[in-house]
Amino acid sequence: MEKKSNLWEMTLSQLDEVAEEINLDENIHQILRHPKRCLTVSIPVQMDSEKIEVFTGFRVQHNVTRGPAKGGIRYHPDVTLEKIKALAMLMTWKCAVVGIPYGGAKGGIICDPKKLSLKEIEKLTRRYVSEIISFIGPEKDIPAPDVNTNPQVMAWIMDTYSMDVGYSVSGVVTGKPISIGGSLGRDAAAARGVMFTLMNTAKKFKFDPFEKTIAIQGYGNVGENLAHLLSRQGYKIIAISDVAGGIYNPKGLNPVQVSLALKDSGSVIGYKDGQRITNQELLTMDCDILIPAAVENQITEKNAGEIKTKLIVEAANGPTTPKADQIIKERGISIIPDILANAGGVTVSYFEWVQGLQASFWTEREVNLKPRDIMQKAFDNVYRVSEKRKVTMRKAVYILAIERVAEATRIRGLYP
Amino acid sequence: MLKKIECFFQPSKLDEIKDELVKMDVGGMSVSEVKGFGTQRGYLEGEKINKKVKFLPKIKVEIVVDEEIVEQVIETIRRLCTAKTIGAGKIFVIPVEDAVRIRTAEVGKSAIY
Repeated sequence: MEKKSNLWEMTLSQLDEVAEEINLDENIHQILRHPKRCLTVSIPVQMDSEKIEVFTGFRVQHNVTRGPAKGGIRYHPDVTLEKIKALAMLMTWKCAVVGIPYGGAKGGIICDPKKLSLKEIEKLTRRYVSEIISFIGPEKDIPAPDVNTNPQVMAWIMDTYSMDVGYSVSGVVTGKPISIGGSLGRDAAAARGVMFTLMNTAKKFKFDPFEKTIAIQGYGNVGENLAHLLSRQGYKIIAISDVAGGIYNPKGLNPVQVSLALKDSGSVIGYKDGQRITNQELLTMDCDILIPAAVENQITEKNAGEIKTKLIVEAANGPTTPKADQIIKERGISIIPDILANAGGVTVSYFEWVQGLQASFWTEREVNLKPRDIMQKAFDNVYRVSEKRKVTMRKAVYILAIERVAEATRIRGLYP
Repeated sequence: MLKKIECFFQPSKLDEIKDELVKMDVGGMSVSEVKGFGTQRGYLEGEKINKKVKFLPKIKVEIVVDEEIVEQVIETIRRLCTAKTIGAGKIFVIPVEDAVRIRTAEVGKSAIY
């Protein structure tokens, strides 16, 4: 596993590398290396025991040149300012490569939500929002769910902000429940984007995806929705896993039954018609397309040498460490990077925000169709850059994103 | 965004139009022989017009293209069909919500190109 504190260094060196590749103006490079704002706040919360505990929270806005900042809020014991800075920078690149008018942000609170009661999480959320309230807003910075935060937490953020300004503001946050302005189609949005990216990849790489075998690691929101979408289209999924382990059947798995097994037994390994495998075995198994849809740092320098797939589509955020990325590149395996493959989520967030601003709501079909055009354009552009410059898709993503942010920075000029 | 271009013109223009459109980014077209009338009420130039409306043979071409080349396609068809007389034809542009290539299940723009 990569050291977690290294994420910031890694993200910076990625920027430096691309800056050199595209001959980025040194002044603009310096601006992009620094987050616009890093806010550290103390969050005192009266616990159920009546004792007051003080948590630490962050909100980082990396860049807002192309529009208001956008990024999730995570509740996790491993949260650090450095990590949030890195994730905020990655959000800047993600929004830029997809071409939605946002800058990048990220937030987090150092806490273990498993040890907190619902009431404590609500108090923590509301006080955190109140501490960062002058920095967020529908035209400033729009938070979203991330690790261990969900639509309920988003509803509390929206309510706290609205109470403070004195009227309801649904556009202050995305990933809200539908009853207060959440978007239809959001649940499956990220998975839809991954499937669409896979189809685009098949077309450009000239293979028939229906003849390929697919393995999916992770059966959370993205993994499960993706398995169902792919299987309905006729794709062949031969392995699926979750935290407890995986199942494998070379003849193909039926996600409907897998989901039932998950519901009954608490894990996909309750599925009868398959052989038990471990997560490690799934990652290194013989398949044509590997889709990591679980957590970060799954493909590392330890297992990258044994991976047998031809194509990795990163549905999860950061599943491949930079060292593993290098090994995989040398071995001639293609990676469709996370920033591109899982951008369906932030795209629907964008449309949720647009619907909120317009106070007008779209049908699920509209919400499913609109992000597709955006994803298609992003994919075509990234592919073009990768062909033109003879670089990996991941490198092409960064080149395109950094060029866009740099151009926006240049044209806006430096204030004062 | 995809647009459907549905156009009606004189049968003699078909080959030339087909050749020009395939040079552009037009991935396919459907052609039908149809009958119809427009402003000219089905009468040719110089013909004596009475109250009865007649049909004239026309060609209907349907193509679905990306929004980006719609203007170019319209321009090409118009340039090739232009006649000084009435009855040269019409071009309609219709928004297409979605497209699906049946064999591959590709959708949207991918289904067309």
